[in-house]
Amino acid sequence: MALIRVEHVDKSFASRHGSIAIMQDITFEVKDSDFLAIVGPSGCGKSTLLRLIQGLDRPTAGAISFRGQPVAGVCTQMAMVFQSFALYPWLTVSQNVAFGLEALEWPKEKIGSQVERYISVTGLDGFQEAYPRELSGGMRQRVGLARALAVEPAVLLMDEPFSALDALTAESLREEILQLWRDPALPPEAVILVTHNIEEAIQLADRVIVLSRRPGHVLETIDVDLPRPRDRKSGPFYDLTDRIYSLITQGGAPLPPPSGADGRSAS
Amino acid sequence: MGESSDATVPTIFPKSSPTELLGLLVLLNGHKGSEDVARLADDLDLEIDEIFPSLEYAELLQLVKVTDGRASFTELGQKLVAGSIRERKSILREQLRRTTLFKTIVRALESAPNHQLSDEDLAQIVSLTTAPADEAVQNIVNWGRYAELFRYDAEAHRLILSKPAASSRSGSGRTPPTTGATPPGPPGSARKSNPPPPETRGAGVVPAAA
Ligand SMILES: Nc1ncnc2c1ncn2[C@@H]1O[C@H](COP(=O)(O)OP(=O)(O)OP(=O)(O)O)[C@@H](O)[C@H]1O
Ligand SMILES: [Mg+2]
Repeated sequence: MALIRVEHVDKSFASRHGSIAIMQDITFEVKDSDFLAIVGPSGCGKSTLLRLIQGLDRPTAGAISFRGQPVAGVCTQMAMVFQSFALYPWLTVSQNVAFGLEALEWPKEKIGSQVERYISVTGLDGFQEAYPRELSGGMRQRVGLARALAVEPAVLLMDEPFSALDALTAESLREEILQLWRDPALPPEAVILVTHNIEEAIQLADRVIVLSRRPGHVLETIDVDLPRPRDRKSGPFYDLTDRIYSLITQGGAPLPPPSGADGRSAS
Repeated sequence: MGESSDATVPTIFPKSSPTELLGLLVLLNGHKGSEDVARLADDLDLEIDEIFPSLEYAELLQLVKVTDGRASFTELGQKLVAGSIRERKSILREQLRRTTLFKTIVRALESAPNHQLSDEDLAQIVSLTTAPADEAVQNIVNWGRYAELFRYDAEAHRLILSKPAASSRSGSGRTPPTTGATPPGPPGSARKSNPPPPETRGAGVVPAAA
């Protein structure tokens, strides 16, 4: 059984000019222990799609299920990591990591050890008492990651998690995410990564879903069958990059609207 | 060895963060552990001088050797990248403890009143003169915390010796009284007050916790 199934999902938002279609007829599956990347132009609905998957918002049409159950309300088996880290500046590292557990009403006596475990797993030992402002970007994102993993999610959703980081820091964290994902003793089972960075998608993912311009639909799903660590300068890597790049730039025309006049309102 | 172990004044400071240094090692690993430095930088669309601070420090920590413009893992570097996030961190920590810089800082912390130093003390002890002091201090503090050599009270700008083995050769050294949340600063110590010059300190080992 698929871990997540996204079936014929449409999403539109109301605006002064009527409803605007953001995405159209999106269908894909996430298998157990999948590493899936989603790429597509700005505004094509990638962040919205992650929110729909986690149950933070509802599709206009279509269905999303997790382990065969429709996602209704926020799914506690999923956790999100954000580009902006989204940490509480007035809480220490430990308190930030504890936050999600408290929200899920974990028993107090279990929270402490869980927080310690995930601080250690993400390399944050020594920074327990620090406030986010004292940390480098890389360390802040580790806190975002520790907070997400502490709830032991089956699925880690990541929305441009590396794009606010310098190149070397991003390189380190990308590889650490792979490590955590591969470790059977640690969450998550599956990862969905949203990124603008095509190379990053190919470097990390088993499969890359390429979305069109708004309203976003799936242009193609591309399998990445290269051994890790992947050499960005290798021929096959380059071919994949090139293929996805041309899909996005040339093939990215929106589908004709199925019925009404929605879809192509003001840019 | 990049740094002689009996040097009294450390000369090499970390100029990048632990995560950046790890990024460099991961990058090198993606090139099978040995690559032309210019190519490495190019792989991430960086200029050589953007990876140089991490490279230099990785060399000091004996994780990487650079010969004729080519970077290669040492055995230890190889071992580090093969390890988990935790194992990597513990190797970095051990290597860091061996540097003159961090040995100097730990020794100073051991002898300092309450096993604490201010930012200004730190800058004096490690003789920061040419480097832009704030950034250098922040980098050193960042690495020291990462390696759990000391804790840091950012409000009071004070380094506080960590509990483990490091502090107690005599056995009398207990953890300083400030565990858990650190108070905003030691009572009565004005943040701006000039620290005594390092050479006059040492002698005044203040008793730690009662
Ligand atoms: N709550 C909302 N109400 C109205 N419009 C919205 C809402 N959320 C998103 N949108 C619009 O939906 C479109 C898709 O937004 P989304 O943030 O999902 O795109 P994205 O692919 O993540 O873009 P980017 O790559 O820039 O992050 C955008 O045009 C955005 O303005
Ligand atoms: Mg987005």
